[in-house]
Amino acid sequence: GPLDLSGAKAPANIAAAQATALATARVIADINTVQYPEGVQSPRPELNEGAKDGKFRYDRDFLLQFMSICKEKPAMLPPLEAIGLESADQAGHHHMSRTSSGR
Amino acid sequence: QEVDMEAQADGIRTVFNDPSNFNVKHPLFSPWTLWFDSPATKGRNMPQTPVSAFPQTPIPQTPGVQAAQGWMEDIKRVISFDSVEEFWGLYNNIIPPSQLPQKANYYLFKEGIIPAWEDEANKHGGKWSIQLPKDKNRGNVDKMWMYTMLAAIGETFDPSPTLGDGSAAASLITGVIVSTRPQFYRISIWTRLAPSGSDEDAALRERIEGVGRHFKTSVLGYPESARLAGPLATEVEFLSHKDSEKKGKAKKIIV
Repeated sequence: GPLDLSGAKAPANIAAAQATALATARVIADINTVQYPEGVQSPRPELNEGAKDGKFRYDRDFLLQFMSICKEKPAMLPPLEAIGLESADQAGHHHMSRTSSGR
Repeated sequence: QEVDMEAQADGIRTVFNDPSNFNVKHPLFSPWTLWFDSPATKGRNMPQTPVSAFPQTPIPQTPGVQAAQGWMEDIKRVISFDSVEEFWGLYNNIIPPSQLPQKANYYLFKEGIIPAWEDEANKHGGKWSIQLPKDKNRGNVDKMWMYTMLAAIGETFDPSPTLGDGSAAASLITGVIVSTRPQFYRISIWTRLAPSGSDEDAALRERIEGVGRHFKTSVLGYPESARLAGPLATEVEFLSHKDSEKKGKAKKIIV
């Protein structure tokens, strides 16, 4: 059958474009005027009655809609191995290579 | 003027309209900083990288922060973010709690607040927390932590965060923590204030209990009436940081 690519990473060109878009995108000024494409739900309106200065609140169902779209690794993310932020398996692997580098 | 507004609305492209060429992002109620520590981070210095590639936000040197310096020594600042889009970019590129090494902690706090009792924003506060046995919750903890973070950054823990002067400081929540231990996980919600138990604090107590109920039912998904304490497990319980310091018997609020 056809390959299931639903879990595959976004192609590199989309990822790069996403990083650029994120860097240049401006902040939404009035959340209540944003029109989302069909099938995308807006934040629950009662959360942002009288909201101003970009101080918006978002319900979980609204936030979850971004999960599968926003996958670009943050440009400012430090090397995770260097701060020990890695799973136990990865840590064992890196530890082997680190000891051989003389640290 | 109506025409202007329409034209403006037409020019707005969210990440849903165009994932690679959007021109607006969703600001968060407050900017947040993720911190991390584990036994492997102890004594480890940040790697030497060009400053431009890896800028560090200096930690504000208030008296509270200075007092917490020992505690903060091994806690590494990972990154700050202030939009929904950036949060998910981070989330999708780090590991969930179930994969963390033992004795590790993620601390997600509002920018400018360090994850320590001594911080000005925390010192009069307390925390809601739950302890969950590891063997029974390996499959739940990642979702529970994700939902906890979403309630924090979406600012839905506290139903009335803009009461008062309308500033971010009016929100009760300062940060959320997940901890992995050999036998259990713990998830905590830190609050800016803690009720004293006196009558004047009745309104604050009610507001704090609202945070606890939201945490228990909407975030963790338990029925309000569920009793959760057991071997290695606690109820959803609130303790002020002052009472935590005392050790021994302290008044807890349970929802």
